[in-house]
Amino acid sequence: MMKRLILVVVIVALALSALPAVLAQDVTLRWRTRPDNQAEIDVYTAASQSIDEGWDGVTLAYEPGGSEGAGYQDVLITEIEAGTAPDVFWIPGTDVARFAEAGLILNLADIAAADADFNVEDFYAGPMGFLTTSIEEGTDAVWGLPRDVSAFAIYYNADLFDEAGLEYPGGEDWTWERFGEASAAISDLGDEIYGFGMNAWWANWGYFVNAAGSGFFNEDFSGCGLNNDATVEGLTFAKSLFDNGAAIPWGTDSEPPFLAGNVGMFMNGRWATPGTIANAEFNWNVAPLPVGPSGEATNWLFWGAYVVNAKTEHPEEAWDLITRLTSPEIQGQIASLGANIPSRATQEAIDLFLGTLPDSGVNNQAFVDGTTSADVRTEAPLFLGNWPAIDSAYGTAITAVFNGEQTPEDFAATICDAVAPEFE
Amino acid sequence: MLSQNNAPNQTTQMAIWASLVAGAVLIAALIYTGLTIIGLDVENFGNLGKPVQFFVGGLLIAIAGLIGFAAWRLWQKRTSGRFILMSVYFVVFVLSIAILLSVWGVYDSLEIFVDTIIRNSGLIILFPIAYAIYWLGGRFREGSAAQTRLTQVAAFIAMGTLVLLIVLGDVLGAINGILSTYSQPATWLLTIAIAVFGVLSYLLLMMGDELGQTPEQREAWQGWIMLSPNIIGFMLFFAGPLLLSFYLSFTNSTVGKVPEVVFFQNYADVLALEFQTMPADVNPQSGLSFGYQPLGSISLGANQLVIGAKDYLFWISLRNTILFCLLLVPMSVIPALVLSIVLNAKIPGVKFFRAIYFLPSVAAVVGTALIWRWLYDPTIGYFNYIITSVVTWLNTTFGTSLQDPAIEWLTGPGVVMFSMVFLSAWQVVGYNTVLFLAGLQGIPGELYEAAMIDGANRWRQFLNVTLPMLAPTTFFVMITTVVTGLQVFNEPYALFPSRPLPINATTGVFYLYDRGFARFEFGYASSIAWVLFAIIFMITLLQFRLQRSGAYDT
Repeated sequence: MMKRLILVVVIVALALSALPAVLAQDVTLRWRTRPDNQAEIDVYTAASQSIDEGWDGVTLAYEPGGSEGAGYQDVLITEIEAGTAPDVFWIPGTDVARFAEAGLILNLADIAAADADFNVEDFYAGPMGFLTTSIEEGTDAVWGLPRDVSAFAIYYNADLFDEAGLEYPGGEDWTWERFGEASAAISDLGDEIYGFGMNAWWANWGYFVNAAGSGFFNEDFSGCGLNNDATVEGLTFAKSLFDNGAAIPWGTDSEPPFLAGNVGMFMNGRWATPGTIANAEFNWNVAPLPVGPSGEATNWLFWGAYVVNAKTEHPEEAWDLITRLTSPEIQGQIASLGANIPSRATQEAIDLFLGTLPDSGVNNQAFVDGTTSADVRTEAPLFLGNWPAIDSAYGTAITAVFNGEQTPEDFAATICDAVAPEFE
Repeated sequence: MLSQNNAPNQTTQMAIWASLVAGAVLIAALIYTGLTIIGLDVENFGNLGKPVQFFVGGLLIAIAGLIGFAAWRLWQKRTSGRFILMSVYFVVFVLSIAILLSVWGVYDSLEIFVDTIIRNSGLIILFPIAYAIYWLGGRFREGSAAQTRLTQVAAFIAMGTLVLLIVLGDVLGAINGILSTYSQPATWLLTIAIAVFGVLSYLLLMMGDELGQTPEQREAWQGWIMLSPNIIGFMLFFAGPLLLSFYLSFTNSTVGKVPEVVFFQNYADVLALEFQTMPADVNPQSGLSFGYQPLGSISLGANQLVIGAKDYLFWISLRNTILFCLLLVPMSVIPALVLSIVLNAKIPGVKFFRAIYFLPSVAAVVGTALIWRWLYDPTIGYFNYIITSVVTWLNTTFGTSLQDPAIEWLTGPGVVMFSMVFLSAWQVVGYNTVLFLAGLQGIPGELYEAAMIDGANRWRQFLNVTLPMLAPTTFFVMITTVVTGLQVFNEPYALFPSRPLPINATTGVFYLYDRGFARFEFGYASSIAWVLFAIIFMITLLQFRLQRSGAYDT
């Protein structure tokens, strides 16, 4: 009886003790990102606290989102439908269009126009171009501000390159030819060793297509752009890596074997750097992506944005929050973790990024070069099509190509017909 | 109707009057709320659409009518009126408590509650210490000085910790916060509703005998009251969403927009097929109508018959689901039967093994799937490591030249389905084993003795006694395994690291999830859900028919 009584009193006392924060009279803003690990959660929590401390009348509640069991997007969509989503949240660049068109995020154009400190040109032009795309004729739009940007690079295992007697990736002649030879030479080092690895999502195979001179979409993003010979050339080269056993099978997570020291080159973004520093027990560094048949350095400019919930009761404060979250100081704090590149395109922000992780010896310049490649493709929200459906159709067909169920030629000949209904 | 001899006393009469007045107020409130909901802009009612508003509003008005009817019956001193009013008032009482807790902010504080526990975790350890001291005191003689002293110390530690927690947790501030919510009329209204309907429920409950309630009636409503939390939960969280999903399946519902009724369009799109005959050398895609993709083709000499589907992935996912089911049943039922027979034997440590085999069934699928993802990894996974080691050993020991298959468990087109089924079977076997064990233990030993006397060996006993006697269990195991298989979602969701899934791994439920959450097509996803429901229902029905026809009687 006594233990039950104590238990009940403790629970009630604790529950009641939590109430004051809920019932506080300040404006409370909830905001959310999708951190990759605990270190990122800690950095965002600290950033939230530092903003909170210097902001009278507003209380911030930071919520890290996403887990293995509950996808970030799933939870967010459910909460949006239920009307319980945070005031400010992060979404990937590709999602901006459909969130905007569905009326889930606030058009901040008027509030931004009234903010004398806000200047569109402070940020990378690619993401801002999409974030200011209007969905209604005759109106301006600001859908949010980019949290950060990133680009691909080749993470390479220097020990395997040394063992194979190869020059490290990079330099003037860093082309597909040398890249393919290096992949083959490293994979010859042993049965469990692979020359190259990449993960199975759109940007990875997209690099090979882009570097060959093709692209996902036509010029105004209103239709498919893959029905050409360049697509065939790009996919044929990528497929040859799998067919020759030089690459980790398509669909397999390449990060664990790379971190285990079994992969010579791993294509990934800046977000993988902290994990590699923490886990790789071999000599490694990063290099630019090899130049493909197009003859130009090709890369993606990845980005995600802080946006404001269309149902927020505090739009002004929410805008204030996203400007504070993208301020040079906060971006500096977050960039110090080394997971991403500040979204401000100023020299100050770039210098700040180049100075991160000084003890690791990571070639930060490779990522900066990636974001400013001659042929850099900005991660594109599709305002004139259903990107998830197109991504799914592209991905399914690409898997068929890399598994040998379909030829690159068939892919190029049929894919645009297959996705045509998904464009407006 | 009551006889004059059983006329209610004054208190009951007053309670009846109070119930009637409260009923009148509730009727007015329900009609007002119902009409308000019907009249609301769709945006202000969760963007669910006018039909939903009419349904909910109409339901509230119908409940008001029911209360009116019950009040009339109670006025006539009929026990049925009392029963209906008592049920409604009890529901209003419970819902008012739930809403008041929300207004007080208790639900929102749950996360902060957890934080408070974590923050004060160092202090909370004092409670078990206090209990340990109290327990120690109980070991001494009853009423001894040592026991009294230890009990006092335990109480001092526990109460002191409690006071400290209260101080740290700012409980006074919380009470103040709760009191501040009483600046809103809604808080008062809810508090009054709890008091009024709580008291009225109690009074109606107590007046049964005076209204001529029979013992059977008392038992019946007591049963209903006991069931009421479950029924309310079922209506709110199962039947409600189910109805809503059925309605949404006839709309173009998407996130953030008001759904428009499209009648059977979603179902037509899901199920649409096209059959085209074309020359054999023509690309099947080019011969189909816009928006259709080839599912397959049949050679007709110089021509081919191409089957196209508007929703190609639905048909593929349906095929995958059925295949998954067909593989899962033998892979999880037969091993379970064998295992249950082994575990039914009187061997040392059998209870330990029963627990071990059941563990996968209670482990979270997502967690175990992540471990299996590693096991399946073609480069650093244990399965391929073992296969490679065995092949190498055979080649070096016996001079063979066996080729290492280097199986791509999660990417190879012919393997991914097997990988999923293997994981699922590993999880289901334990559960099925427990069911078979229960069935085996229900078989009378005399049957085996009789069979032995008749000269039946072990195998004949198994065939002629065990299997027939297990038929009902086998039927249940088959039904649950088939339904589990047809609803498979967790395995493809957690096992594959990238999206989209390999096409051979996309199952029906995963596909509807993908359409709903990745593409925001809730209406379309709902129609897929109902098509899958119809299929599962028909297969289950078929199994019941087979059972009735004796197919499970071996």
